[in-house]
Amino acid sequence: MAEICLALAASHTPGLTGWFDKAPEPERRVVTEAYDAVHDAVVDSGADVLLVVGNDHVANARVSDYADFTFGLAAEHRGPDEWFKPWLRVDDYTLPGDPGVAAGLFEAVRDSGPGLRAEPGDLRFDDNLSVPTAMARLVETGVRVVPVLQNCTVPPVPDERACYAFGEALGEAIRTRLPDGLRVGLLGSGGLSHEPGGPRYLDIDEKFDRWWLDLLQEGDHERILTEATFDRMEQAGSGGTAELLSWVVVMGAIGPRPCTSLGYVAVDQWRCGVGAVQWHLP
Amino acid sequence: MALDHFDPQLRTNDLVQELKWDRELRARFETSEAEVLAAYPLTEEERTAIAARDFRRLYDLGLHPYLLSQLARLIYGTGEKAGTSEAATALIRSLLGDEYETYMAARGD
Repeated sequence: MAEICLALAASHTPGLTGWFDKAPEPERRVVTEAYDAVHDAVVDSGADVLLVVGNDHVANARVSDYADFTFGLAAEHRGPDEWFKPWLRVDDYTLPGDPGVAAGLFEAVRDSGPGLRAEPGDLRFDDNLSVPTAMARLVETGVRVVPVLQNCTVPPVPDERACYAFGEALGEAIRTRLPDGLRVGLLGSGGLSHEPGGPRYLDIDEKFDRWWLDLLQEGDHERILTEATFDRMEQAGSGGTAELLSWVVVMGAIGPRPCTSLGYVAVDQWRCGVGAVQWHLP
Repeated sequence: MALDHFDPQLRTNDLVQELKWDRELRARFETSEAEVLAAYPLTEEERTAIAARDFRRLYDLGLHPYLLSQLARLIYGTGEKAGTSEAATALIRSLLGDEYETYMAARGD
């Protein structure tokens, strides 16, 4: 049996790398410490493989032909995608992939419900993978990364219960279909509240974000699924806040349990509530 | 809801995707925008709205908000280094219309 040895979630937003210095120093410190904690958790967990679940941001397929989840099967994952470089201002990176684990998980869950694809070639990565890679210094950890890009924003979006069920299937596949002794970490990448390209582009719903983080720390997943629905996320920032569905996938994979907040800040210039959590595993 | 207007069949969605993915097309868009718009299978309504930077009209026609923000960056530049970049404020000014000044004043920007 493989083991889920780590479960984390953290925001990504281009401001964290592209214009980090626009935030006051105390907020910058919270974010730096949160991503340092993510880095340390990856190292301390001894994870061999890290699944990074994150919004695709309409980067890899036309909106008229859009998958719900796309598994990255490549042996290496390079980023950021060329057009995003002047915006994100991160160094070019190459993360080792794990084609065997990626293909094994894809085959195990491909009929689990949502529309799944596997991409053997290069995927385009923007802030979804590039921000955690840069901020949590993932290349330094040596962990092999399997990206799972998600549809959080092109209707019809798999809702909170569909994403939780997908996470349950993914967790079962990790525990039963991967090699014995393999240590697998999970990172949900996205959120918190933001409305990219909409009328509330510059707004952050701090009240929603803090409510969400409080709910997660309590760890009652049924309550979270009942109250923090896709529609509720949309009310807190359309097209962006629902990136929290990546956190819901992680919750499905590990089952009901509390987590610890690694920090939260709302910085207007970043146009996105920024926070991170680590779940308590046995 | 910002996604209520979204129409996946609106071809401007595909144009913005291709501008991100195709460096050569993007270069031609920057130097000869009208020619690129004329050659792409858009409706005249879409071409007029893009040429006029009428993001509100494109939003109403069904351009996905993500692609709307990326179109603004393709037009106004992507190296913004600020949340209140020229691209973002041009987009919000168009989306909010008459409410823009009040909205920005209330924010203190």
